[in-house]
Amino acid sequence: MRGTLNDQSLIYLQIAAGLEDDILRGVYREEEQVPSTNELARVYHINPATAGKGLNLLVAGGVLYKRRGLGMFVAPGAAEKVKEKRRSAFLDGYVRPMVREGRSLGLNRGELLAMVERAIGEGESE
Amino acid sequence: MNAAVLQAAGLNKSYGKNHVLRDLDVTVEPGKIYGLIGRNGAGKTTLLGILTGQNTHESGSVTYGGQPVWENQTVLGELCFSRELSETLVGGRNSLKVAHYLNAASLFLPHWDRDYAQRLLEEFSLDPGKRIYALSKGQRSMVTVLIGLASRAPVTILDEPAAGLDVVMRERFYQLLLEDFGETGRTFLLSTHIIEEAAAVFEDVLFLDRGKIIEQGPAEDLVAQFHTISGRADEVDRVCRGLEVLSTETLGRHKTAAVRCGEEALSPARAADVDIAPMNLQKVFVALCGHEPAR
Repeated sequence: MRGTLNDQSLIYLQIAAGLEDDILRGVYREEEQVPSTNELARVYHINPATAGKGLNLLVAGGVLYKRRGLGMFVAPGAAEKVKEKRRSAFLDGYVRPMVREGRSLGLNRGELLAMVERAIGEGESE
Repeated sequence: MNAAVLQAAGLNKSYGKNHVLRDLDVTVEPGKIYGLIGRNGAGKTTLLGILTGQNTHESGSVTYGGQPVWENQTVLGELCFSRELSETLVGGRNSLKVAHYLNAASLFLPHWDRDYAQRLLEEFSLDPGKRIYALSKGQRSMVTVLIGLASRAPVTILDEPAAGLDVVMRERFYQLLLEDFGETGRTFLLSTHIIEEAAAVFEDVLFLDRGKIIEQGPAEDLVAQFHTISGRADEVDRVCRGLEVLSTETLGRHKTAAVRCGEEALSPARAADVDIAPMNLQKVFVALCGHEPAR
């Protein structure tokens, strides 16, 4: 989870995104328990209803599941589900804004593609 | 008595010529943390006093679980309004001791939790033998917070609980509040004019402005309706046409507009060359209640 919350997006979305990040990083593994609404509320100073909304969003997406009377657990295949969801949002969330910014800077198609190629190359050589 | 709805309808209250509350309606449901937000002098404390039968009002009704609150001992035991302690009393300084207040609370509040009160006394390093006038502003706030928490009342009302506390104690206060709420799920109603740090603690907010509750509902739903649109002035004006614009600020050719609308109405703006940013609760409050008081 992120250390602090910001006010650039709704808090329950940040709670959900933070838990997704932790699932991708292996902080919470499959079949492991994630923090409860009250724990999240206490740590982040947020209303438990807000924390619950974030957790329920992940339950609806099949990333977490409820064990009655025990709490919320990471679903099998959760990391793959998070990646899949984020892949489908990648075009709108990252590529389109990048292209728009490139256009406003006067970068042409070739220049933009060359930069993307270069960044990919740098990532591979690391 | 089970947790019930605290409700006021058509409240009117004046101090001389000053009409403080005007046909005010409010509903406080069980099991939520409410934030009552208003500017200085908006009538927050007056309203809280009336809701708990401590202040009179000219017209309107206040009920808890359908029963009138005024001079109704059964109902009043369920409601705790922990008021700010005054440094002075009629005729001089307030030389009552902390222990006197705790003792009075234990007599008048049927759900009083003596052990919890003791733990909080230690946590806050409060000396029960100290006289109220000898406490710092922060320590007086701690006493009111302590009484509110240890009251374990199904509806607990705190007036500006964080105002006198330093930043470390404020953080600790929100933590204690959320721990208690996690355990008991009782109703809390907190008034504040310091919005930013408390915003995420509230499930529902009540905006008090010019004697009326002008907004009430889930804080997140309210905030989600507000955005700022900024960019070149002509482009901002174009995409804002037909939207409810609350305020604008122009800096040369740059313009920022605060708008209230649903996601669908925003879609033309999303396609345009403008920046759209969410607003936080504090900015929403300023946009709605930031007018000149005398207008």
